Amino acid sequence: MPSVDFALIGHLESWSTAAAVISALRGADRPAIRSEELREILPWIPPRTVCRVTITSSNGSEAHGVYIDSFIPPDRLAERFLRENLARVRQAAEYAVREGAKIAALGGFSSILLEGNIGALPRNSRTAFTTGNTLTVALIMRGLECALEFAGRDLGRANVLIIGASGDVGSGCARCLAPRVSQLLLCARNPNRLQALATELSESRTPVHSGTDLAQFSSQADLVICAASMPAPALSPEALSPEAIICDVGYPKNLLPGFAPAEGAVFFGGLGQVRGRLRLHPDLLGILNPQPFPDIVHGCLLEGMLLALDRRFEPFSQGRGRITPQRVQEIWDLAQKHGITLGPLCDADGPVEARISDLAGEVR
Amino acid sequence: MKNTNLRQLAAHGCSTNEQLHVWRDILAQAVTGELVGALNYETLAELCDDATEKAEALDHATSERSHAARFNTAGREMGLNVGSNLDASYWKRIREAFLSRARANDFVGCVIAQEVMLESFAVASYQLVAAKAPGKLGSTFAEIAREEGEHIGHAVEMLQAERAGDLKSFDAKVLGVHEEVMTTLAEMVAREDPAGHCGLCEGNCVKPSLPCVGLSTGELRGASLRRYLQTLDEIGLPGESTLAWIARLPI
Repeated sequence: MPSVDFALIGHLESWSTAAAVISALRGADRPAIRSEELREILPWIPPRTVCRVTITSSNGSEAHGVYIDSFIPPDRLAERFLRENLARVRQAAEYAVREGAKIAALGGFSSILLEGNIGALPRNSRTAFTTGNTLTVALIMRGLECALEFAGRDLGRANVLIIGASGDVGSGCARCLAPRVSQLLLCARNPNRLQALATELSESRTPVHSGTDLAQFSSQADLVICAASMPAPALSPEALSPEAIICDVGYPKNLLPGFAPAEGAVFFGGLGQVRGRLRLHPDLLGILNPQPFPDIVHGCLLEGMLLALDRRFEPFSQGRGRITPQRVQEIWDLAQKHGITLGPLCDADGPVEARISDLAGEVR
Repeated sequence: MKNTNLRQLAAHGCSTNEQLHVWRDILAQAVTGELVGALNYETLAELCDDATEKAEALDHATSERSHAARFNTAGREMGLNVGSNLDASYWKRIREAFLSRARANDFVGCVIAQEVMLESFAVASYQLVAAKAPGKLGSTFAEIAREEGEHIGHAVEMLQAERAGDLKSFDAKVLGVHEEVMTTLAEMVAREDPAGHCGLCEGNCVKPSLPCVGLSTGELRGASLRRYLQTLDEIGLPGESTLAWIARLPI
């Protein structure tokens, strides 16, 4: 077995995905497991490797790794389960160390271990840990540029609302966008962190407004980034500008399926595509990537693979609020080098590029 | 068993006769499991060339018999007549699986079956039962769970060394034992018994009544599989293999 260059630590987004993964492992000769049956089993499964992963760069180099699932039950991501979930992520991190991974990327909720609980990481290990959030931000930026180009709009004239702005991804997006947009509206639950970010960004020439009440900003925004760690039920399509374009970067998604402003569009942000080759053994790619395009992976996990391809086993993204435009550019250059690009814009129902392009005609 | 009045029930930490019946049937499973364990260790002793190992296996057998006796005593103190049945379908299959390994002189296979699979199952399920069982019964389950845990620790070290010698054939051997023993244990705690009554419960199957004492087959299965996976992790088996193994078990 090849040495383990990287470990991707994640959790399954929904019970149906989890049931599909376990059913695939059961094999075609056994009846598929149902979601309700799995609810009795999955919470007991300790974090472990689910499959082996090989990524090939567009320049031909390869890196080998593992996907480790923390088996956090998809419906137990709420704050009241925080302690239990942190313990699971910590065990998954220990598992990555045990696998001998040189770098581990903590995807989705797992990144919390590096954003605010860094002391909980396994000590004295040779594994470098990264949240992968810098590449996620880079992909979000490319996604926004791409969407606006399709819609025939100018980023410089956009009023951008960031929900979850005080988080690592949200604040990274804010720093990248502040010098480039017409107005920046920051919303988050933590008023102190929000104020600190607004103060930091006040040096840019762009007006920055911040607040914890989503309703005060909803109608002003024509570009929205949903980067909250929890779903955003307070956001209603009616409250938004009718032609708003929304980028949902949450994992699990912040917005319910079918959410869309009357004349706007929603797309999933932070997804990258491997132009080289991506192989999983056993082959669960069709389940773990529900998008109708091949080799689509969340930016956070891609960052771990990318750094492994470049033999840079370093904690590229750690802590909260350290993502700068310079670091975003650095990881994006690295992504270009290895053939990792923005995935086609899509939502839960499939591609949305045509829908966004239609907005150009509607608005004019 | 005659119906017991409320005062007698309360003295045993129960509020209904159904609860008392459930504890009796749980105890019958535990006693039978311990007796099967004792027989397995006695068989294991016959396979040992080394005198110290032989003595250790016999010591474990004695300890399993003492566990069975302690469960019986705990039941008696609650006014329960706890039965046992070595021919009960699941336990008989487990014993036969063990004996087939022993007949093949497969010492390692026998250790895997008894000290990894059966003991993991026992430790996890006893811990769960201990948390719900009243008074002395609860503490008996807790103490025995602790003692059984020591048996697992004993096996892990030996099996790690065994695996280091030949990873591929060791893992294949574990899978072979898993398919027999763990499949049977999974059926034992599955929601339904396709083959009918297991031959241990005094009346109807106890499984649908477990919630009346705060237990469920789902929890028992989950906790047992978790302990089993953790033991396999300690031995060093790859997580993706063991995940696929448990995914294939009956539900």
